Amino acid sequence: MSATQQALAVGRATAAHRPRRSTWFGGLHGADYAWAIAFALPYIAIFFAFVLYPICYGVYLGSDPALYRDLFADPRYLTAVVNTLLYVGIGVNVKMFLAFLLSGFFMRKSWWTKSLLVVFILPWATPALPAYISIHWFLNGQWGMLNNVLYLLFGIDGPVYLNDRWLGLAGNIGAYIWKTLPFWTIILLAGRMAVPTELYEAAEVDGATGLRRFAHITVPMMASLYLVCTLLDMVFALGDFNATFFVSGGGPAMSTEVLATLGIRYAFTVALPRLGVAAVMSALPLLIPLVIMLMRRLRMSEGQL
Amino acid sequence: MIHLSRRSVLRGSVYLAATGTLAKPFIAKAAAKTAVVWMNQGFIPQEDAAFKKVAEDYMKASGNTLDYSIMPFMAQNQKTISALTSGDVPDLVFMDAPSSIIPQNAWDDKIVDVSDVVAPYESQLADSAKLCSTFYNKATKQRSYYLCPVKQGATPFHIWGDLVEKAGLKISEIPKDWNGVWSYLKQAQAPLRAKGMRKLYACGLQITTVGPNDGNNVFTHFLIANGGENIVTSDGKLHTDDPVVREAAIKSVEFMTGLYKEGVVPPEALSWNDADDNNGYHEKLFMMDFDGTLSTELALIKDKQAFYHDMVTLAPINKNDGSPMKTQVGTGGGFIPKGAQNIEVAKDFMKYFMQPEVMNENLKGGLGRWVPAIPSLVKSDPFWLQSDMPCLKPYVEEAVLNPTLPVYEGFTPAWGQANAEQLWGQAHADVIKNGMKPADAIDKAFKRCNEIFARVET
Amino acid sequence: MSATFPGRRMHSRRFYRVQRRFGEAAAMLFGLVLLVWSITPIYNMWMIALDSHDAIFSGTVWPDSPTLESFRVVITEDFWYLENFWHQFGNSFIVGLSVTFLTLLIGSLASFTVGRLRLRHGWLLTNAALMTYVIPASFLAIPIYRIMQIYGLQNQLSSVILALTTFATPYAIFIFSQYGKSIPMELDESARIDGANPLQIYVRIYLPLMAPALVAVGTYALLLAWNEYLYNFLLLSTPQSMTVAVALAQFLNSDESPWNYMMATAIIYALPPIILYYGFRRYMAAGLTMGGVKG
Repeated sequence: MSATQQALAVGRATAAHRPRRSTWFGGLHGADYAWAIAFALPYIAIFFAFVLYPICYGVYLGSDPALYRDLFADPRYLTAVVNTLLYVGIGVNVKMFLAFLLSGFFMRKSWWTKSLLVVFILPWATPALPAYISIHWFLNGQWGMLNNVLYLLFGIDGPVYLNDRWLGLAGNIGAYIWKTLPFWTIILLAGRMAVPTELYEAAEVDGATGLRRFAHITVPMMASLYLVCTLLDMVFALGDFNATFFVSGGGPAMSTEVLATLGIRYAFTVALPRLGVAAVMSALPLLIPLVIMLMRRLRMSEGQL
Repeated sequence: MIHLSRRSVLRGSVYLAATGTLAKPFIAKAAAKTAVVWMNQGFIPQEDAAFKKVAEDYMKASGNTLDYSIMPFMAQNQKTISALTSGDVPDLVFMDAPSSIIPQNAWDDKIVDVSDVVAPYESQLADSAKLCSTFYNKATKQRSYYLCPVKQGATPFHIWGDLVEKAGLKISEIPKDWNGVWSYLKQAQAPLRAKGMRKLYACGLQITTVGPNDGNNVFTHFLIANGGENIVTSDGKLHTDDPVVREAAIKSVEFMTGLYKEGVVPPEALSWNDADDNNGYHEKLFMMDFDGTLSTELALIKDKQAFYHDMVTLAPINKNDGSPMKTQVGTGGGFIPKGAQNIEVAKDFMKYFMQPEVMNENLKGGLGRWVPAIPSLVKSDPFWLQSDMPCLKPYVEEAVLNPTLPVYEGFTPAWGQANAEQLWGQAHADVIKNGMKPADAIDKAFKRCNEIFARVET
Repeated sequence: MSATFPGRRMHSRRFYRVQRRFGEAAAMLFGLVLLVWSITPIYNMWMIALDSHDAIFSGTVWPDSPTLESFRVVITEDFWYLENFWHQFGNSFIVGLSVTFLTLLIGSLASFTVGRLRLRHGWLLTNAALMTYVIPASFLAIPIYRIMQIYGLQNQLSSVILALTTFATPYAIFIFSQYGKSIPMELDESARIDGANPLQIYVRIYLPLMAPALVAVGTYALLLAWNEYLYNFLLLSTPQSMTVAVALAQFLNSDESPWNYMMATAIIYALPPIILYYGFRRYMAAGLTMGGVKG
């Protein structure tokens, strides 16, 4: 048996436990060090070339305190903040939870599950613009498909969804979940695939039922990935303006605006780009803790938890 | 085994890092005699073709090269703002509706003064065109020409004549005063519904807060029709304390929300975006629409029945007090950002474009969706007033011959910002959804409007 | 295989069979709900694409007189917005595949070096990558515009490719790091004992084991590049150099566009990523993690 196979036997047994920091790699020797640097260089180049200056310039654009005074005086700002919190809080968490459940569902081996996965990807693959516009029309009170179907099936005249703040917000969040759910499902599915099947087999032999296997193996193994995905998606959701812009348009009466759409309006409708950047940067108090949490998570990802 | 040596990978990575960060922009400072022009895409291909022709003709005549790009207006907006903010600007930006960008940037002294280009044509230009092309510059503390005007557009009524007849009404009997038009046409709803058009509405009133400007445009015309056109004067001052203005505003809100509450306006209108009203109008979901330019008609030009017979274009005639209605016209043309490399070529091209013959041919090529900024052209060229396109004559009358006002954005960037906050749409929503009284809703809107104006003044 | 105690069967075999069938039926019902949920807005798009121009908003659930006219128009480039459709389609492939390749390469190299080779202060790199997301991409338009001007890359496809890679790579690094935790370090160690250098470990052990994550992140990068239109607008000036996503956004230029053509374009445009995903989906199979090194 080669060392690999011996190590693997050891590896399998210890896979359920967190791998300990190995002293072998504690300090990189000369040749390996050069390799490590070489592998890191492409991203470092990208960073210095395309991240450092733009981010600093972007922050500079939004750095004038007077901008924030103007921002807070805008009556739409507070509504936008509330909407953004709802959008991020509900949209992200509901979606992640669904993605987690679906990732389990798609582990099934049946043929129709596999085909369903390809269809399931469609919302994500369709370009955002036409998809969201289609949903906007779908929700139209007069001739939208939703109300037509309701009329057809139940004979009732549905409400004008986009005339109501909460229905409009629900529509935006629903559209956003619809579009991005497949994406996270795939990521979590990949994560599930990484859970070694030996663990499940061993547990089954020990008599654990499906639910216990789920709770004691799947959940802990995927917890970290789930958390990282949630945090990242919160960052993405903060910046998403397509859904709100095309589905409800921020209406009625700007009551479904989020910070991202508000910022875009400032930047490109009244040529006040600095105010636009300030609008999204005002979310930094929310964003920074997220980013810090992510940083800590990722630092821990270097081999140990 | 893999034969990639560590050294070659290292070398590759270092190279990548170096070129990425250290590449010098020699190419960025390009050759001098080529002007970079950004043009916005028209609504119909003929507009683009017409522009290309002008550009090609200019290039032949002058020997200069125009590196022009035609892009959708949204893209052009974003690109232009990015350029103006970052300082890497093209030589000429040509926009149909620059009122979202120029006021603020002229104020901030980021646009080149083009008085020398406009001067030879000044006497021929329409007043509204001139007023729409002058902006206040905070640095120089005076107004000057920053836009070279070429085209103008107005907002007519678009009506389905066949539906009017079906309802038993007559186009010729439509009253001449502003409120009268709406009141007369709204009567069509009941008979048409009785005839089986279950979901038809009479008035496509854009009482919305979504979409860049349609709701504001409709409100402003109501305001003018009620006598409140002095809400912003040409010196950029806001006059919400003028009782005439306030009264006009309140009446406008009352009338518009009244129409909505009577049920003659689709309930969806409160959250219509830019395209929803057009879509609905085309599907004959409502009978009339008050929307800018002839794009509504021209989109159906292939449908002979609709274009030549069924659709009626109507210009507003009188205000509610009987005096002639002054509709607002916007102006489009070219402007030159400061810091452009080839200001001379840009100015030269605009001088060429503003020549009456060139201007006229260009707009004719665009099927008349925009009218010339030089009024005498519509009288001298039969294309405008003797067209076989039934929509053109009323439109030209409205935009050129009848009294007109410039859009207020030209007076001060604060108006654009106030509009962007959709204050008037908010007032309507307050009345309809929150049960406010029109007077209170207007006072609330005015209060915020004053805040915005005060903010811009400083 | 020995067990600690024999697994007890608590019910009859038939019970388990019924339970399994019931479970299967419930799963199918769930699958049906999922299908309806995913397809409905797309069905709406499909319906609009099949309608002729006048009937788009007539408010029916099935198209009255469906016609494939819009698809014909798109494929034959018969409309002025679609004049360069196939050329732009080609650009989409170039941009999409380049961004995917670069993101996967740079991202996996970075996460390998930080996570597996344990580069000292490697955490600096991941933290720096996070900086990219402090300001949402749509608001970095102006700074990115400026920097591309500085580098002289304006109006070139490479500027878009690089910009999108910049946005996609940090995400790739994070997912790879998380995913990589489930691959035991012992594999790397034993390979080193066998005399492999880091590059060989990267290519022969790391990449194959990361396959599901590579497919997932690769699809993400592809779709990001495929459907992105803001940076295309911003950094490119001519219709020849843009992607189809931009052509789609053109339809919003007017408030009068032929929406049926737009939807037809969107449907055709959504197909290649799906087909690509379909081609690669077997790499998303479970068991590769351990399967690759068994025996």
